[in-house]
Amino acid sequence: MNGVGNGPTFVQVGLALVLVVIAIVVSRYWKLNLTKDMSLGTVRSFIQLVAVGYALEFIFNIDSWWLIVLTVLVMMTTGAYTSIERVKRLDRTFPIAWLAIASGSVVTIAVMLLVDIIPFTARYVIPLGGMIISNSMNASALAMARLTSDLRGNTLAIETSLALGKPWREASRGFQRDAATTGMTSTLNFMKTVGIVALPGAMTGMILGGADPLEAVLLQIIVAYMLLSATTITSIVAVELTVRRFFTPHHQLRRIATAPVTSKS
Amino acid sequence: MADTILELRHVTRTIGDKTIIEDFSAEFKKGQIYTIIGPSGAGKSSLLRMLNRLDDPSSGEILFHSIDIRELPPTRLRCKIGYLFQTPHMFEGTVRDNFFYAECARTEEIAGRLADLVQIDHALIDADTEPLSVGQKQRVALGRLLATNPEIVLLDEPTSALDPSITEAIEATVRGIVERTGLTVIWVTHHPDQALRMGGETLLMVQGRLIESGPSREVINNPSTPLGKRYQSRELR
Repeated sequence: MNGVGNGPTFVQVGLALVLVVIAIVVSRYWKLNLTKDMSLGTVRSFIQLVAVGYALEFIFNIDSWWLIVLTVLVMMTTGAYTSIERVKRLDRTFPIAWLAIASGSVVTIAVMLLVDIIPFTARYVIPLGGMIISNSMNASALAMARLTSDLRGNTLAIETSLALGKPWREASRGFQRDAATTGMTSTLNFMKTVGIVALPGAMTGMILGGADPLEAVLLQIIVAYMLLSATTITSIVAVELTVRRFFTPHHQLRRIATAPVTSKS
Repeated sequence: MADTILELRHVTRTIGDKTIIEDFSAEFKKGQIYTIIGPSGAGKSSLLRMLNRLDDPSSGEILFHSIDIRELPPTRLRCKIGYLFQTPHMFEGTVRDNFFYAECARTEEIAGRLADLVQIDHALIDADTEPLSVGQKQRVALGRLLATNPEIVLLDEPTSALDPSITEAIEATVRGIVERTGLTVIWVTHHPDQALRMGGETLLMVQGRLIESGPSREVINNPSTPLGKRYQSRELR
């Protein structure tokens, strides 16, 4: 048998189901009550990934600029919708998430194209764009959720600061910094442990696909740098746009956040 | 009048369809102590918040030295009209760090003088604020406010979480500061007794409206309006 070195076949995927069966048997023995979730997950991942495979093949074959742009736009919009699920108690979060993800992703992709790290072809822009957008999506969700909850939970500290004549930006600076850092933490942790704790998916994929390990490593380094740029820009834009929602131009904390302080009279 | 420092003209504040403050007009003079009393939910704190522009009126105007406060930058106004919250919040660091937290705070040379004014032991000036009692923290918060050299200090039930003995000590501290500095104090309180102890003038608020005002003793002991009498008889508390 050749293994998957030259690209696996559907038969090999079918054989890999043995692993799923092992997982289900073990989980049933331990009464984890997850058989349904595991079966559904197995089917879903198969259908979703096969569909994406065909879609990518279609896009790669056409390889026109408008299809690349359209695909990136669809990915950014889906990412923005997913990222606002965690920020339920703030209105109109979608434009914030979309702009944050778009700025992080577009700047990063544009720089990679301009300095000629990657060519403007679907084969490069779409998979790398997907990695950038999904990381930006997490960064935006984490930064927005952290900032919203911090500003809501610290109205006394913020209003004490405002009442002493501090501008709103200074009264909220610590919370802005914490939120932006939260958005960037997973990328920073990834950069610290990459290659030591785990080999990242892209690199593993390239090595399995027969690429020279050094070539795979170089691409992985580029991926790490690009994720750092994307999550940094996304986190900062998300924080900047979110924090403005909480303050008036007259350095007042808006009602959406002042309820605990004004509830008494 | 020449010594009027703050004036409210027909101030109304509504949130949604709820009226919090209704057609409130009053004058405050320099160097006087004012107490604002009234039942819970009367809008006392809501009124105080507007005087330092933490909130804005929906209509009417607030004049500081005859200038509409909306014409002044809020960051500057707040150095002149300070606000002390019910619960003191300490910023990270020492008492000294807190005294000089505000950008408009005067130079550090006066740390000792501030400590004297609010009766904080000099040994505590360079100590962390974390282990201080609530009463001491409230004194530090008051000192931090005075460091900005305000003309008016707004106190929002500053002693409601404190023991009676500490409450009376803080009242004495504030009276002493007014005598020495000519500061104007507007003190919101739940307790008519506290208003009597502070002296000066009292404004009685009920349901967002000013019911009566005048020397504390008269407003509290001899109210002239039906609502004032109901408040005096504890029917409205």
